[in-house]
Amino acid sequence: MNTLITILFLVFAVFILVAAIMTVTVKNIVHAALWLISSFFGVGALYLLMEAEFLGVAQVLIYVGAVSILILFAIMLTRDLEGSQNRQLTPRWWIALIVPAALFGVLIVPTVMTHAWQLPPPPPAGQPPSISDAQQIGTAFMREYLLPFEVAAILLLVAMIGAIVVAFEEREQRRRVLTLAEQVRLRRQRQQQVATLPEPAVSAVQPSEATGSET
Amino acid sequence: MTDILRSWIGSALPDWLIVLIAYLIVTTIVLFYAVGNFILMVWAERRVVARMQDRLGPNRVGPAGLLQPIADAVKMFTKEDIVPRNADRWVHLLAPVVSLAPVAMMLAVIPWGRGWEPIDLNVALLYIVAVSAVSGVGLMMAGWGSNNKFALLGAMRAVAQLVSYEIPAVTALLTVVVLAGGMSLLNLPHLQAGVPIMGATILCNDPAGCSPLFYTTITSFPGSPNEPVQALDLGLGWWVFTPVGLLGFVVFFIAALAEGERTPFDIPEADSEIVAGYMTEYSGMKFATFYIAQYILNFALAALAATAFLGGWQGPGVAALANMGGPWVHAAAALSAFYLLAKIWILFFVMIWLRGAFPRLRVDQLMDFAWKLLLPLALVNIVSASLMVSITQWTSAQWSGVVNLDGFASWQRQLIAVVVTAIINIAATYWILSINQRPKEEEWDEELVVAT
Repeated sequence: MNTLITILFLVFAVFILVAAIMTVTVKNIVHAALWLISSFFGVGALYLLMEAEFLGVAQVLIYVGAVSILILFAIMLTRDLEGSQNRQLTPRWWIALIVPAALFGVLIVPTVMTHAWQLPPPPPAGQPPSISDAQQIGTAFMREYLLPFEVAAILLLVAMIGAIVVAFEEREQRRRVLTLAEQVRLRRQRQQQVATLPEPAVSAVQPSEATGSET
Repeated sequence: MTDILRSWIGSALPDWLIVLIAYLIVTTIVLFYAVGNFILMVWAERRVVARMQDRLGPNRVGPAGLLQPIADAVKMFTKEDIVPRNADRWVHLLAPVVSLAPVAMMLAVIPWGRGWEPIDLNVALLYIVAVSAVSGVGLMMAGWGSNNKFALLGAMRAVAQLVSYEIPAVTALLTVVVLAGGMSLLNLPHLQAGVPIMGATILCNDPAGCSPLFYTTITSFPGSPNEPVQALDLGLGWWVFTPVGLLGFVVFFIAALAEGERTPFDIPEADSEIVAGYMTEYSGMKFATFYIAQYILNFALAALAATAFLGGWQGPGVAALANMGGPWVHAAAALSAFYLLAKIWILFFVMIWLRGAFPRLRVDQLMDFAWKLLLPLALVNIVSASLMVSITQWTSAQWSGVVNLDGFASWQRQLIAVVVTAIINIAATYWILSINQRPKEEEWDEELVVAT
């Protein structure tokens, strides 16, 4: 069973790495987003391999279901998707390679060399191994990690209020979309105005400017 | 399944291979079950809608047109596969697969009958929500890969709708999590044993005089989580009969309609506005894959709604058959599978009915409906569900002495809980509905527009 798990781990690891490399090297930005999604899936599979069901499912829910869809949405609302003339590498790309690699090495080498890994003790005979479930994670959030949890919650709340404020400011500046009956009525009123007042004709109404941002 | 295979060929093969084969067999059975239902659902939808619109519907191929879906499948297989010249070939090819795979994965955790569940996952409800969110990526890929403006518009609409209706759906499912005290789907039907409204709280006072036909030993039920008791069990203690479950079911079913893109919410593929939405550039088998994905999604959502609120496989007679022991247990399993299937089909009939009855919503109506009506109702319902659990299960120590219900019998506590939550839910529903029905304030100055 252990060799099977090792093989599966290697498959997933290679998959994640390939997907991550493709994400940063592919020219087409939508393809990059799709490769990013595959890499997220690989990480979720790794969690499942470690029997952390809750983490694996949450990874798929948050990163694939929410973050990636948001990224795709944002990409598709921007212009110049193909990006064929966009440069991907600066002339000094090797500096950008060396500095993070060195930082990563500084972190990872002492960890691997000296860290005492806290492996869980093997379960007593006849019992299934204990799986860290959602309940333990929830208890940890409400006890040991209460402060980070609350800080993150407040951060999200502030972001949400900010988004609402921004959206409302934009909303004040735009008019309601007129229905067909209202347009007809408006045009008739305007014709009467033109008939009574010998002024130059007013330009036609442009009622449909606000449809796009309703969603 | 694993155990049966082990006893048959346990010595011949290594254990991991047996597990693998067992799961492959189970997967095949579940997929065939879903696809068989898909074929019948296509036929039923066409016939029933035709009946509601005073038409005949398909009636030439086979008896009453029953073989029409098969004829359609043959047509789909033999059709030419057209890919637009400027389409993104790989994304265009993968999109139907990415939208079908998560839907098929949803079927894995649903208990299809008593003891007939493919996988027992302890985060099953979260898993279903997470997996169904992935199909949005497939729709996005279809819309973008087709290189067609209608397809892109349809995909945008589909994903916007999917993302916003996920919130009321998940909030409604949270009431189930609160009531069940866990996210496993496997336990839900067991927890919904008993009689309507009261659940499994009418206990047997005299253990010798209670017939096993009507009374079941229930190990965990609201009110007494630990000690097994004999309770009156007609298999009808569905949560939909309690105020909390009813409100949760209504909210979840409406949100499920939107997630499955059923008619009042079929904006993404509104054929009178944007051809067929994200499916515009698809033909042949790729189109059929989208079609299958949609119907199986509806099937899975109906199964989830039935399991979470309508008791799943629970029904009159299942517990009695199971209590008789021996070969009757298998009869109980078959009967329970029939009950779940019947509930799924009733829910699917309601979906068809709504399609025949309602016109399509506008996008702004869609968003208003989700955020101003469904979400507040679902949030109130979570409060009610918490009260329900605390009134039926907490001891006075857990209430920290504020409320003391220790002296009451479990059916009395259940009755108190039902009355309290009914008052809260009815008042909240009435209030939220009256807010939403208030005439809209005019946001614009008519004279100002006229003047420009």
